[in-house]
Amino acid sequence: MTALASTAGASASGSVAERAPAHRRSPERIAAALTLVALVVASLFALNSLGISLPSMLESWSNAERFFTRVGTIRFPEPLELVQLTALTLGIVVTGTLFAAICSVPIAYLAASNTTPGPGWRAAARFITVFTRALPDVVLAMVFVLLFSLGSLPGILAIGIHSIGMISKLFADAIEQIDEGPRRAIRAAGGSKLQEFTSGILPQVLPSWVATVLHRNDINLRGSVVLGYVGVAGLGLEMSHAFKSLNYSLGLGIAIVMFALCVLMELISSAVRRAMLHGGRASGGPLAATTAEAAVRRPWTGARVRTTVWGWVTAALLIGAIAVCNIQWGDLVTVWAKIPPVAAQFWPPSFGAYDWTRMSGAMLETIAIALAAAVLTLLASIVIGSLAARNVAPNRGTRAGARFLLVGIRGVPEVILAIVLIVITGLGAQAGTLALAFGGIGLAGKLIADSLEEVKGGPERAITATGASRFQRYAAATLPQGAPAIIGHSFYLLDTNIRAATILGIVGGGGIGYYLLNAGQGSNYGVVTAIVLMILVTVLAVEGLAMWMRRVFR
Amino acid sequence: MPSPLIEVRDLDKRFDRTLALHGVEATIDRGEIVVLLGLSGSGKSTLLRHLDGLETPTSGSVRVLGEEVPRLRGRRLRALRGRVGFVFQQFELVPSLTVLENVLTGSLARLRGPRLGLWSYPKRLKLAALGHLDRVGLLDRAYQRADTLSGGQQQRVAIARALMQEPEILLADEPVASLDPESSEQVMALIREIAMDAGLTVVCSLHQVDLALAWGDRIVGLRGGRLVLDTPTEGLGKAEVMEIYGRVATATAELEAIETELADASAEARPDRAEPLAEGAGR
Repeated sequence: MTALASTAGASASGSVAERAPAHRRSPERIAAALTLVALVVASLFALNSLGISLPSMLESWSNAERFFTRVGTIRFPEPLELVQLTALTLGIVVTGTLFAAICSVPIAYLAASNTTPGPGWRAAARFITVFTRALPDVVLAMVFVLLFSLGSLPGILAIGIHSIGMISKLFADAIEQIDEGPRRAIRAAGGSKLQEFTSGILPQVLPSWVATVLHRNDINLRGSVVLGYVGVAGLGLEMSHAFKSLNYSLGLGIAIVMFALCVLMELISSAVRRAMLHGGRASGGPLAATTAEAAVRRPWTGARVRTTVWGWVTAALLIGAIAVCNIQWGDLVTVWAKIPPVAAQFWPPSFGAYDWTRMSGAMLETIAIALAAAVLTLLASIVIGSLAARNVAPNRGTRAGARFLLVGIRGVPEVILAIVLIVITGLGAQAGTLALAFGGIGLAGKLIADSLEEVKGGPERAITATGASRFQRYAAATLPQGAPAIIGHSFYLLDTNIRAATILGIVGGGGIGYYLLNAGQGSNYGVVTAIVLMILVTVLAVEGLAMWMRRVFR
Repeated sequence: MPSPLIEVRDLDKRFDRTLALHGVEATIDRGEIVVLLGLSGSGKSTLLRHLDGLETPTSGSVRVLGEEVPRLRGRRLRALRGRVGFVFQQFELVPSLTVLENVLTGSLARLRGPRLGLWSYPKRLKLAALGHLDRVGLLDRAYQRADTLSGGQQQRVAIARALMQEPEILLADEPVASLDPESSEQVMALIREIAMDAGLTVVCSLHQVDLALAWGDRIVGLRGGRLVLDTPTEGLGKAEVMEIYGRVATATAELEAIETELADASAEARPDRAEPLAEGAGR
């Protein structure tokens, strides 16, 4: 007791405020924080410049009413045609995703820090990942339509090549997260690199890989409708024809079919993911056999029958998807001769009839749409996401309700929602922004909820123990711990929004996409190249910014 | 007189700035059952990993089965690893594969190309693997997922996997440090039985003096990366071992050593099953 008092007395030469060390922040952190503030201000300006406000939304509602009185009823294609179109669309999407998944395996192996043979390989694989992700699938489709003219190959290759970016990135992340132990054990037993991969790594990453591919397949189905606008066969092409010939009732009918298809696919893939997560652990009881000879035949337990049946069903579906596409394999050989002349049309990049101010203005509008949508999404998803987090929600009912809402929103394909909104309200950029903002809530809300649930429980308990209220605990312990993750998610959102906003222009949502489609249809391929370069620079800049933010606010 | 199975000469291993092994010398003959004794951080694991070519020495020589291990590359290194079984503290089974397939991965060095799924292994090897599972008393678990087994069972599967290699040497790195006392006893007894039956040479690292004395034929002691003890266990008491330790260590270091041993002993009493999984997923 006396010892304590004496140390306290010895150091009490001045007030506490004087003795407290100065609050230092690193310059990098200050710069990052300022950037963050600047982005928020820019988003608010963007909201303002796009004219998004309550009165304008009400006005668009009256627009919609007028639209429906003019259009009348919604029509669907003939049943047989509808089935064919649906099968072709699904076939192209699934085959494209499968192609991407197969290509992604070696790229992920080279890109993952724990499997890469060397830094050079890793850099090359990373480059492929970033580059294929940054190239919009619509642009790829434009190029491939020129190369292959008809058939399903343009769609498959556009979807396939664009998807490699995301799939190989997530594949590589999964490889980096494995438990190294089993792999080391295979190495210690004398296994080769390839055996290490198949026996030690693959079984660990397979569930997450399958989930990634299913997830990407959903995204591709949603995006496939836009590919129709540049000539890829399927439902999207029919829809763009319908709208172009002002046959709105048929166009909306196809949009509704597409909508239902996306929701259905989402339900199927989430059911498969769940089954894999829980069913995979099913393990039969002990074996009855008492000798090795008797035990060599594996008994047909319920779990084994199920796995086998589903395995064959999956294989049949994949083969069916490829068969439906009716791929002209010969084209893959003859195409190489066509590449040089087509490539020559795309070079050099030029603005053609447009000037720099017009193009940069359009690019800025795309960025404004992305920013405005992101800030709207974040506002909504921080509220809903927090309520969906177990450690924040006041009761279980609230959490379940919020989670359900998020799943429901996630099921809505935003591009199709945007098309419908744009057509109905006649307001390009505003409708696009709202659709994008709404669609983003599903994913951002879920990511935020998951990140909040992952924070350490100790600090929360400590804050509760001081007598703080539930809301104080949320502000003092939960949110600060989750903040770095939320900043990361925000940039992910911005990143996807920029890509989506480009696409929106193609379907009439304003911004650079409009000029992209125009240039493509007018065969001004030099302009296409110029616009793609602008998009690439923007996307890479946002991605670089996101990486920097994640590093600083870790 | 044939040359020794394992011969380590003046082995140094440096990680960044710390010297993990310094001037280690050891010779082990065929059929010996040797305990590497030392506290955590003494360099036992590093030494064992050198014997299987999982680490390359900073300097010095490591000869195993007549091969200079650090010089081996590619196919020849894998061939050597195939002749040396390795049992890990955390078992290191592939959690989502069946027990049988985990055992079969022990035969990869003798097979060409990648394998995934039971169908990809020949029946002859499956029979052998089932035989090894029978040997460790887990035949009835053959088709269960590895992560449905308890820690002790998983370690027995890992031993079966090592046996699948038909090894001449068995290396075990703290094989029972993650197990409860009862499973520990089973696993240690099993390793010794198998070694005696097959005439295996065993090098097993441990940190408990009592267990080392009761189990091994010979104790090689490490402290701070240096070899401080190399003696047969016959007629040796715990006090003597501790005394030998005492002679090379200062009084305070000895006190610390005993404290650490106590801490390890209490850590050992914790349930073990969740540990390897949590450690893998934790990052």
